[in-house]
Amino acid sequence: MPLVDPIIMSTTLAKGAAAQAQAQVAFSKTAPVSPATTLRPVQIRPTPLAQATRPRAPALLAVLFIARFRPLVTDPVSAMATALPFVAALQVAYRRGRVRTRVRPNAVATSLLSLVLSLLVSPFLYAAMILFGAPFLTHSAHTFLCAAHLAVLTLLPLFFVHGVDGSAWAVVGSFSAPLDETFGGLLGGMVGAWLGAVPIPLDWDREWQRWPVTILCGLYGGYVLGRVVGGTLVWGKSF
Amino acid sequence: MTAHSRRDGTLSSVFLLAANILIPAAIFVFATGFFPYKPLLSGLATYDAVTEYGDPPAAPFDRLVFMVIDALRSDFVYAENSGFEFTQSLIRDGAALPFTAHATSPTVTMPRLKAITTGSIPSFLDVVLNLDEGDESSSLASQDTWLAQMKAKGTGKLVMYGDDTWLKLFPGTFDRADGTTSFFVSDFTEVDNNVTRHIAGELKNDDWNTMVLHYLGLDHIGHKGGPRSPHMVVKQREMDGIVRQIYTAIESQDHLHSTLFVVCGDHGMNDAGNHGASSPGETSPALVFMSPKLKALESNLKSPMPEDESFQYYSTVEQSDVAPTLAALLGFPVPKNNLGALIPHFLPFWANKKDQVQLLMRNARQIRDIVLAVFGPQIFESNPDANAATESNIDYRELALGWEDLANSYSSGGGDIPSIEKWLQHAQGVLSSMASNYDTSRLFLGQAAAGAALVAAIIAAVWCARDKLVSFIPLSGIVLAYGVMMFASSYVEEEHHFWYWATTAWFAYLGVRGLKRGNASAARQILTTTALLLTTRIIRSWNQTGQKFAGEPDIVKTYLNTNPALLWCLIGVTYLWAHQSLIYGLSGLPMWFSFTTATGLVLAAFTFKVAFTLEDAPELVTDFARYILKLHLTHSATLITRARAVFIGLALLTAITVLSMLARRRISLNQSGTSTLLTLYTLLALTQSRPQNIPLYLLHNLQHLLLSSATSLGTSLTPTEITTSVLLLQHAAFFAAGGANSVASVDLSSAYNGVAAYSVEAVAVLTFVGNWAGAVWWAVAGCVMLVGWRERNGGTNGGGTNGGGTNGGGNGGNGGGGREKGKGLWKAHVAVLTVFVAGSVVAVMAACSALRTHLFVWTVFSPKYLYCIAWSLGQHLVVNVLVGGVVYWLGVREGK
Repeated sequence: MPLVDPIIMSTTLAKGAAAQAQAQVAFSKTAPVSPATTLRPVQIRPTPLAQATRPRAPALLAVLFIARFRPLVTDPVSAMATALPFVAALQVAYRRGRVRTRVRPNAVATSLLSLVLSLLVSPFLYAAMILFGAPFLTHSAHTFLCAAHLAVLTLLPLFFVHGVDGSAWAVVGSFSAPLDETFGGLLGGMVGAWLGAVPIPLDWDREWQRWPVTILCGLYGGYVLGRVVGGTLVWGKSF
Repeated sequence: MTAHSRRDGTLSSVFLLAANILIPAAIFVFATGFFPYKPLLSGLATYDAVTEYGDPPAAPFDRLVFMVIDALRSDFVYAENSGFEFTQSLIRDGAALPFTAHATSPTVTMPRLKAITTGSIPSFLDVVLNLDEGDESSSLASQDTWLAQMKAKGTGKLVMYGDDTWLKLFPGTFDRADGTTSFFVSDFTEVDNNVTRHIAGELKNDDWNTMVLHYLGLDHIGHKGGPRSPHMVVKQREMDGIVRQIYTAIESQDHLHSTLFVVCGDHGMNDAGNHGASSPGETSPALVFMSPKLKALESNLKSPMPEDESFQYYSTVEQSDVAPTLAALLGFPVPKNNLGALIPHFLPFWANKKDQVQLLMRNARQIRDIVLAVFGPQIFESNPDANAATESNIDYRELALGWEDLANSYSSGGGDIPSIEKWLQHAQGVLSSMASNYDTSRLFLGQAAAGAALVAAIIAAVWCARDKLVSFIPLSGIVLAYGVMMFASSYVEEEHHFWYWATTAWFAYLGVRGLKRGNASAARQILTTTALLLTTRIIRSWNQTGQKFAGEPDIVKTYLNTNPALLWCLIGVTYLWAHQSLIYGLSGLPMWFSFTTATGLVLAAFTFKVAFTLEDAPELVTDFARYILKLHLTHSATLITRARAVFIGLALLTAITVLSMLARRRISLNQSGTSTLLTLYTLLALTQSRPQNIPLYLLHNLQHLLLSSATSLGTSLTPTEITTSVLLLQHAAFFAAGGANSVASVDLSSAYNGVAAYSVEAVAVLTFVGNWAGAVWWAVAGCVMLVGWRERNGGTNGGGTNGGGTNGGGNGGNGGGGREKGKGLWKAHVAVLTVFVAGSVVAVMAACSALRTHLFVWTVFSPKYLYCIAWSLGQHLVVNVLVGGVVYWLGVREGK
């Protein structure tokens, strides 16, 4: 399993290469995952500029979402499709500028790979959304684009930091990772998307109750909130 | 430690017991305040009682033919493409006067017949009594109705043909009758031919003054195929032919010359063909008055009418208006409890304006008597300050003052028709909205008792808690979210979404937790979780229920109803599964015995299902299934015999299982006897379920396997997690089988299995099992899981979350530590369930009383209260506590 960005990986994994290798074996075979494998929370570069611009990216996402809300309600598919590249670009640009890395080889490749990986995971997220109650026979494009947004928002930053390191993902997958901007965003995005289903059954007969507008609302709201809170208030804590 | 053991012991039991006694008490007290018996004026109204208006005016009719066509929605008669062509021609000629008669919710037959005959608005309790058809209190024999008035006139006999609800409502009233039951809704023709065959003979008789006909076929077609069924127009033509037959007889035969002919629906139907709730389709039945004499009114309306989305054709009147209108037209005093107003279109029958005023004044006077009976004479006292202080009284006070004005203007000569009509409309509105004047002190008392039950249950649950309090967060979230939900009518209607939504998240949480603890491989963990989520997703789309998305495609409609071969394959697999589990469950008995009994019982259950479906839904039965039925030795057996054979077989095997568990003899070699009991219950659930819902039990079994297999989930569930899962799955299973919080969704198709003569208890139990089959299944499965947890953790001493212990195996081998761990397991389970039930009762009561003036109180919140009663008394107290307690106790005893 090649590491995408060894430098980043070594900053995020607390243990040495040996433990890493062991943990990878653990993930792919049937031996239990060693609970000792822990992740360090991602740190933001402590430069004054980075700190000052810290809330800018989530705010930008929020603004983008609010600005595109009308089109989203009238034509969810095209609105989600056109917004996806922008969101992806925003996520990549932000990650590249902010995550603390000592050396940066192949930064472009890392970004691209993270993006590709996120999109490759989208079908699985689509399946997960179906399992959580999304329509199965209808609205395929709606649900799929929603899953793509979920991937680009919440998983892309994680791919950027963790690459395809199995042990790191095992920790993230069992929700034992320490809270930071990336993990907070994942948590917030998922819970938000889940809570987004709440207004659908109401008999208000509003346009925005259509699938998947509320889910996307919850996703973006939850992601922005989770990322901001994860990066500040509860940074470094874990469940 | 002593404080803890005291809490763990007696004191928590006392609190738990108190909570479970307070719950039914609270429900009862609240119900008496929320659904009070209305004050009924007894005795028959007579003209002599009211003298101030002089002699009653002469009536234009002396004979009545009252034809009810069940579920005759307004558009079936009035719209284009209707089969009622003859009736429409009468409307054009003016010989028929058409109306849309607004039926109030609940739109089921019995309360509607009460409204039509007494003119009153039946209380919501009548819905319960509608199911409980044998109840004497629902009888109208002693009440003032137009039937009683026609009988009192003594000008002829009363005859009735059709739905036997009339015979139950009016025992001893009819001189000649032939009742038909609506047992199988697949019967479109027989049930109506049994009515029609009497008509020709009765039209020749002249010894009757009232003939009631009640046709059920059209309703059956609606239930089976919806309003657009190809059978619908054919049935309408058949009904139109009967209208023609009767109308022609009235025209041509002398003794029928002054016959009033009324055709009406008792309620309508929604787009799915069901009824009970209050959508426009359900509340808008047709009402047509016919007679050659009506031509004198020169109405000559247009017919047919273009389709109307709201189903309001011609003038809309209240269904209760039928009673006072018949009273005027046939010449008898308005029934005493009537809240209807004389339909003004008929006033021109009386040329003299004085007569018209008199009729209206008598109607108004009779309604004033009700106001008097309800509020006492002080409301009519002239002192305006006397009672006007309270806001709730203001409407009635206004009524009283309005009456004074009417009476004054009448006594000063004349009387103004529009103002009397206006007063009647106003009185009707006010009195029907107060159809139950809530007893607020009882509402308050009921809520206080429920609140106390909740507090006691929480204390008991905290003291019984076996896990860390953190593990109660999901449960508390469920209780809180559920409580909040009860205040929003759409969430009450769409309650199933909450349970599916919460169950999915819960399984995902269990999966993540398993990954975190990491006792099993991640791949297996993910696989198990995905399988759990997948089964939940399939269950979720099995039956579409609720209001908002009703009628949208689901698995049953899309795949099973259209593909009977697939349906019977799945049913066959389910029965085979049950067969195999039963053999396994009886493996402690001699092999030949377990095999023959299991095969015999499962075969009996399966052939009963085929035979029942052949009667109830013949279109679902494939040729192959029919063939099996013929092959089976008992092909001549009746349904009742078949059902009884299944019930007796189940009872015998249950007795054997219970006895061997009591004797600590393993009935099943490799598993607890509780699993055998679960299999036996599965067979009962299959017998009481619709054929389309039978494969659901395969999925339930799968979920149960996935949840209880300790190794595949990495860790076994903790007791709190078992309770949480069981709570979620009980509700999810109820809604997956098509349940909802609506009166229309009660499934009565299995209520009479094996019942020959009507028995309230048997039908009530069978109805409950029929509708809560999945929920009961999970209650028993919960016991199996708890007994399994106890056995697994029996051998190890404080093994923490270790779930790898041997799964059963001859003796449970409980060491001292095991007994310690097992102690209080059951109590903690019941305590948590009690918290949820008490919480839901508090929330539903609070919603019902806070929103009691809300538009939806009769359509959403009252049905929800009835369902809340069934959940808390039936599912919680009887099933979870009593049945579950016995099963768990047997399991523990066997394992010792």
